[in-house]
Amino acid sequence: MAVSALSRWAREAPVPVFVAIGDGMRERVERLFCDPGIERAATPRHAAILLIAGRMRLEDREDLRRLHDQMPHPRATLLWDAKVGEALGDAEIFSGGTLESDKDAGEAVRDHLERLWQDLASGERPSEPDLLHDEPPNPWEGIGPHGQGGKGMMGGTPYGRPMAMTSDDLRDGLALDTYTARFGPFLPMFPPGLLLEMTLQGDVIQAAKVLRPPLSQKAEENAPAALSRLARLLDLLGLPALGQRTRLAVAGDRSSSTLEKLGRAIRWSGAMLAIPPGLGAVEGQGDLSARLNDLLAVAGGSSPATRPELPESAHLSSLLPGLEWSEAMLVLNSFDDKTLSMLAMVMDEPDEERDGHDHDGDHMRHDHGGHHDHGGSHHEHGRHQGEGGQGGHGDYGSHQGHDPHGSHGGHT
Amino acid sequence: MMELIAVLLLLVFLSMGFAGAALADGMLPALIAGQARSSWRRPIAEAARLLTTQRIRTEAPDALLWFLAPTLYLALAIVGLAVIPFGPGLVTIPSEVGIVVWGSCEALTIVAVFMFGWSANAPLPLIGAYRYVAIALPAMLLSMFVLIGAALPAESLAFTEIVEAQRTVWNVVRQPAGLILFLMLGLAISLRGPFDYAGPEDLAGGTTADVSGPSLLAWKVARLAMLVSVSAVTATAFLGGYLGPLLPGFVWLALKTALVLIALVAAGNFFARMPPARMMGVIWTMLLPLSFLMLLAVGTELLLWG
Repeated sequence: MAVSALSRWAREAPVPVFVAIGDGMRERVERLFCDPGIERAATPRHAAILLIAGRMRLEDREDLRRLHDQMPHPRATLLWDAKVGEALGDAEIFSGGTLESDKDAGEAVRDHLERLWQDLASGERPSEPDLLHDEPPNPWEGIGPHGQGGKGMMGGTPYGRPMAMTSDDLRDGLALDTYTARFGPFLPMFPPGLLLEMTLQGDVIQAAKVLRPPLSQKAEENAPAALSRLARLLDLLGLPALGQRTRLAVAGDRSSSTLEKLGRAIRWSGAMLAIPPGLGAVEGQGDLSARLNDLLAVAGGSSPATRPELPESAHLSSLLPGLEWSEAMLVLNSFDDKTLSMLAMVMDEPDEERDGHDHDGDHMRHDHGGHHDHGGSHHEHGRHQGEGGQGGHGDYGSHQGHDPHGSHGGHT
Repeated sequence: MMELIAVLLLLVFLSMGFAGAALADGMLPALIAGQARSSWRRPIAEAARLLTTQRIRTEAPDALLWFLAPTLYLALAIVGLAVIPFGPGLVTIPSEVGIVVWGSCEALTIVAVFMFGWSANAPLPLIGAYRYVAIALPAMLLSMFVLIGAALPAESLAFTEIVEAQRTVWNVVRQPAGLILFLMLGLAISLRGPFDYAGPEDLAGGTTADVSGPSLLAWKVARLAMLVSVSAVTATAFLGGYLGPLLPGFVWLALKTALVLIALVAAGNFFARMPPARMMGVIWTMLLPLSFLMLLAVGTELLLWG
C-alpha cells in the first residue's frame, strides 16, 4: 500500500534525465530541457533515464555503456537518432526522421521521456540490467611493501586504479598529491564528446591532454548559439535560474525588452566581478571576461563579435594547466564551437600512444600490463570508482591503443 | 514544563520551516527563470522518487561516514535551533553559552560536508569537499566575530539575553554590515548559490555526484533544515528574535525567520559564484577585516554611550 502510494507520487516528479549529446544535437537537447517537467541531472546517479542524442563515435560506445550502468535502478535508456548499434542493449529508440520540424521532434521526444518515466515509476516497465560485467579491470597487482603499487603508501595502480602520488605543484612547488585521470566524454560541464586526460593536484590542473576532440555541433555562430553559450557559463557561475531564463529566451521570446531585462539581471548578479581578470586569455580572443562581455552584448542586441583567427600555438594542453577546476570549466565553455574544436585538436604523439607513457612519466606509470580498462561499472550494482559518476571518465589511466572492449566481454 | 512546550514548539517550528523552505526553494528559481510556477506537490513527488530509487555504492566507500554525514548535518541543524528562544524563557536547551553552541554547530558542519564528499571515494566529490573546507572555514571565522558583536551589547553569550538586549534597538541597526556577513555564512552553511563550493555545477554535483536515492534525499533534507536553522539564528541575533507587538513571540520569530529564509534563497539564485581562489582572497582580505571593524565599532559605541 505504502509502496504504491510512493510510486504514485513518484510518477508526478519531473523526469530526471542524464543526457549524452552526440553530433550536432546540443541545441535541440538544450531546448528539450526548457520544459519544467524534464530535469537535467548533473550526474547519472541522479537520473532515471539516459538520453543518448545524436550520432556517436565508435569509441564512445564503451563509455555510454558504462554511463548506463552507473545509473541507479529503476532506469531506462532512450536513443534519439543515436546510431550506436546494439551497444546499449534493447533500449527504446526514437527516430525523428519522419517528423516535419525540429520542434515537433522535440515535443515527441519529451512525450516519449515522460511516458518512459511513467512506466518505470509504476513498475510496468522493468529496470534495465547492467550491460557490463561487474568485476575489476584487473586483479590486485600491487607492488611495494603493502602491495599497494607505488612508493611508500602511495601511487601505483592497484586493481588498475591509479592512486595519487606526491609531486611538485606548478604554482608554488609544494609537493602535494597528484592524480591523473580521464574526464569526459559526457561530463555535463564539458563540451560534448571531449575526453581529456588531466593531472590534478587538488583542484589545480597540472597537465591536460586531449584524447578525443569534442563532437562537432552546428558551427554557425549566431545570436542563439551565443546565448546558449551564455546560459552554460551562467550555470557554471552558480546562476542556473538565470541560465534557464536565457535558454527560454533562446527557445522562444527573444524580444529586446526580455533580453534587456535578462542582461540587467546578469550584470547585477556580479558575474563580471566574479571572474578573475586575465583568466583564460588567448591571443586574439581576449580573456574570459572579454568573451563574456561579448556574449552580454549579444544579449543586448548587437550581433556576435568576430574574433581574429587563433594563433597556431593555442591549445587546451597549454591553456588549462595552472588553472583551478572551476576556472578551467569556465574557460572551456567560453569559446564558440569552431574555436574550441581548433583548441581541442588531438595532438599527434605517436610515440606516447604506442608506449602508453603518461606525459609526466614519473608517476602514474602503469607497470603491469596494458589491459586495464578502469571502467565505471565493472562492479556490483554499477559500483564505480570514477570521477563523480560522469560518463566515460571511468577508464582513466588506461592505455591508449589497446582495445577498450578487451577487458570484458560485453553482452552484445 | 516550559522546556516541554519549547520542545513541541521546536518540532512545529522545524516542520513548518522545512515545508516553507522546500516550497521557496522550488518556486523562487522558477520565478526568476520566468518559468511556469511549479506546484506545491513537486517537492513531495521528488522525495517519493528518491525514496523509490536504488542507493548506489561506489567502489570501496567509507560506508559508515557516508551514512553518518547527512545524519550529523541534520543533527547540527536541530541542535542549533534548540538554543534559540521562542519566547521569554521558552527555549529547548537553555544555555548560558548559546552562541558557543551555535558556533560549534557551524564548525562541525564543515566536518559533515567533508565526510560526505570524502566517503564516496571518487575525485569530484572529494574536490567539492576540500574546496568547501577552504571556503567555509574563514566564512565561519567571520561569523564568530559578527556574533560576538551581537553579544557585546547583551554582555552575555546566551541567546535569551541577546534578544532581551535588543528591546531598545535591534542589532541590525548596530551592525548592518554584520547582518550581511551573517547572511553570507547562512549561504555557506546551507550550501547555496554563491557559497556552494561543495556541490556546484562545475563538479557535476560535487559531494553529491555519486549519491543516489534515499541518501541524496537525506542530504537535501538536512540542507533545508540547516537553512531553517540559520535563518532562525539570524532573526534572533539581528532582528530581535521573538520581540514584537501584539502577536505572540513565536509568531514573530516565525515571520522574521521566513523573511530571512526567503532572502537567503533569493540571494542564492541572484548572485554569481566566484572561483574558489578569488573567493578565498575576498574573505580573508576584505570580509574578515570588515568584521573586525564592525566589532570595533560596536565596542566603541558601548564604551562611549553604553
